[in-house]
Amino acid sequence: MSEKRPAALVEVRGVSKTYRDHVAVHALRDVSFSLAKGEFAAVVGPSGSGKTTLLNLVGALDVSDSGLIRIAGHELTATPREELADFRLRHLGFVFQAYNLFPVLTVLENLEFVAVLQGMAAAERRRRARELLAAVGLAGLAEKRPPELSGGEQQRVAVLRAIMTEPDLVLADEPTANLDSENAGILLDMMERMNREKGITFLFSTHDPRVMERARKLIRLRDGRIE
Amino acid sequence: MRLFLAMAWRNVWRHRRRSVLTVMTIALGLAFNIFMRALGDGFHEQMVDNSVRAHIGHIQIHRAGYHDDPAITKTLPQPDRIRSAIESLPGVRGASFRVLGDGLASSAENSAGVSVVGVDPDEEPTVTTIHRAVIRGRYLERGQHKPCLIGERLAKTLQVDVGDSLVLLAQAADGSMAGEKYRVEGVFRSGAPELDRGVVYLVAEDAQELFVLPGRFSEAVILLDSSRAVDETARRLEAELAGLEVEVLPWYVVEPYIQQFIELDDAFFYVIVLILFIVISVGILNTILMSVFERVREFGVMMSLGMKPRQVVRLVVLEAFLLGVVGVVFGGLLGSAFTLYYEAAGMDFGAWAEGAAALGLTTTITYPKLTAANLFWSNTSVLLVVVLVAFYPAWHAARLEPVEAMRHV
Ligand SMILES: Nc1ncnc2c1ncn2[C@@H]1O[C@H](COP(=O)(O)OP(=O)(O)OP(=O)(O)O)[C@@H](O)[C@H]1O
Ligand SMILES: [Mg+2]
Repeated sequence: MSEKRPAALVEVRGVSKTYRDHVAVHALRDVSFSLAKGEFAAVVGPSGSGKTTLLNLVGALDVSDSGLIRIAGHELTATPREELADFRLRHLGFVFQAYNLFPVLTVLENLEFVAVLQGMAAAERRRRARELLAAVGLAGLAEKRPPELSGGEQQRVAVLRAIMTEPDLVLADEPTANLDSENAGILLDMMERMNREKGITFLFSTHDPRVMERARKLIRLRDGRIE
Repeated sequence: MRLFLAMAWRNVWRHRRRSVLTVMTIALGLAFNIFMRALGDGFHEQMVDNSVRAHIGHIQIHRAGYHDDPAITKTLPQPDRIRSAIESLPGVRGASFRVLGDGLASSAENSAGVSVVGVDPDEEPTVTTIHRAVIRGRYLERGQHKPCLIGERLAKTLQVDVGDSLVLLAQAADGSMAGEKYRVEGVFRSGAPELDRGVVYLVAEDAQELFVLPGRFSEAVILLDSSRAVDETARRLEAELAGLEVEVLPWYVVEPYIQQFIELDDAFFYVIVLILFIVISVGILNTILMSVFERVREFGVMMSLGMKPRQVVRLVVLEAFLLGVVGVVFGGLLGSAFTLYYEAAGMDFGAWAEGAAALGLTTTITYPKLTAANLFWSNTSVLLVVVLVAFYPAWHAARLEPVEAMRHV
């Protein structure tokens, strides 16, 4: 391995994860891959192949049994569990399959949420939030509450929230699973644009072939192993 | 943190009906608490005031040792110095110098042991209300020939009335037995059994003559503008009278049973408050637990985004606090309004009149009294209970693992 090559943004090496309820489920076995900064990558594989498990580990939401995960120079696998929340707050953005937004907050406030946790000044976070909404033509939704939005609009707002604080990496577990193909297309267009314009690295999962096509890099999982 | 305040506030009203019910529970509990406390305060104050105004005054001064062993020879040293000391103090409404002794009152029909109280007819009304308790005849006047004033029940025992005579037999200060005849000028009904049954009021000079105590007094009784000033005034009097062989006693030393009753009554009140708080707590706990359990997924998202457990605790507790504040505002207003109404109108406990009389109350009407201390402690304790109770559900929420919480349906 060349010492001169810039370190990858995401480095996953020999990671395994076994769930032990009644029976042991080997969700991930010896998974290794890396992502460069600015990547637009997808984890793909059939249901139960370990996509969510992998995203949870890279997203510092869960801990692996063995192996090494390093993101932006931070070795997650050596970080105490109670410090992971702070790592997520400072370095990661998240888009979930559904129920991303807080129903009591307006769209604008939802965008502000993570920025508030980060301690960003009120004026700055409001400016950023309005700018982002305007950039994707959603300025009219600013004062609306999530329940008034369509599913597609909700996911777009969720993507904006994830990139609000310009994290090192945005993780999106099946962000289009609940969307029709038209809305899925719009969402991917938006993610691609943010990736291109702001250089934000995306790692999303899907088992939809049309979504896979949009990724520039594919990480294929089957039965917890990289194919 | 304005965003979290807004979030907490809106979360509170997410289930309007449930929150309104909880607010009502808090408000009614608080209002009840305020009212009960005010009723107790008013009742206690009235009890004290009744005893104080009936006979004992706020502060009594005797020769040292008189209270424990009231001998007729223990009279006040230098009454004039004591009088000027009393007059020099602020907040003194009146003072009465009395001559006290025991005797046997006899009529043609019957006789009874009595306490003889010799008073200055002009001075006594500055402290007690005995002059207003006269129901037949009239109050003592100087210049009448050996007048006396007796209670209604004593009059009945002796079978005498206004215009009749009675004889007082007593052992005088010099050890001699004295007997003297007095004319009943008035009959009073104070409502206090020990006064109505067993006291004969004389003009001070006549009592001094009976007991052979020329120019001497057994006690000085003082009425203050406010019962709150008792301890302070007693301290200052003691300082003023340093060197004199006297004892300066607040009313609660003179009549300790009133204070004991108040303490017992307060203890009873606290038990009721405790039960009330437990009931309120269960209601609040239920509401907040429900609100936490139906938002498990939401807490999962929050914590995934980087919210820390203690911030989750803060959010949940803040929600409870807001709920509590709304309840306290309504409860405080309701309780105050209700209390103030009855503070003006009075509450008639006619049915308990007999018990009230035994406690020295001359009326069956009680006036609750709303104090700042009552409002402060009632409001803060209810709010505190709400917030403390919220820590349990808050801890539950904070303990959630983001991944598991988000899988929650
Ligand atoms: N908390 C858990 N406890 C036990 N087993 C689990 C748990 N989470 C996932 N699994 C199991 O681990 C394996 C991988 O699951 P995972 O959710 O990562 O797959 P996936 O690729 O995301 O599937 P899908 O496409 O259905 O979302 C599956 O066999 C699943 O049943
Ligand atoms: Mg999955």
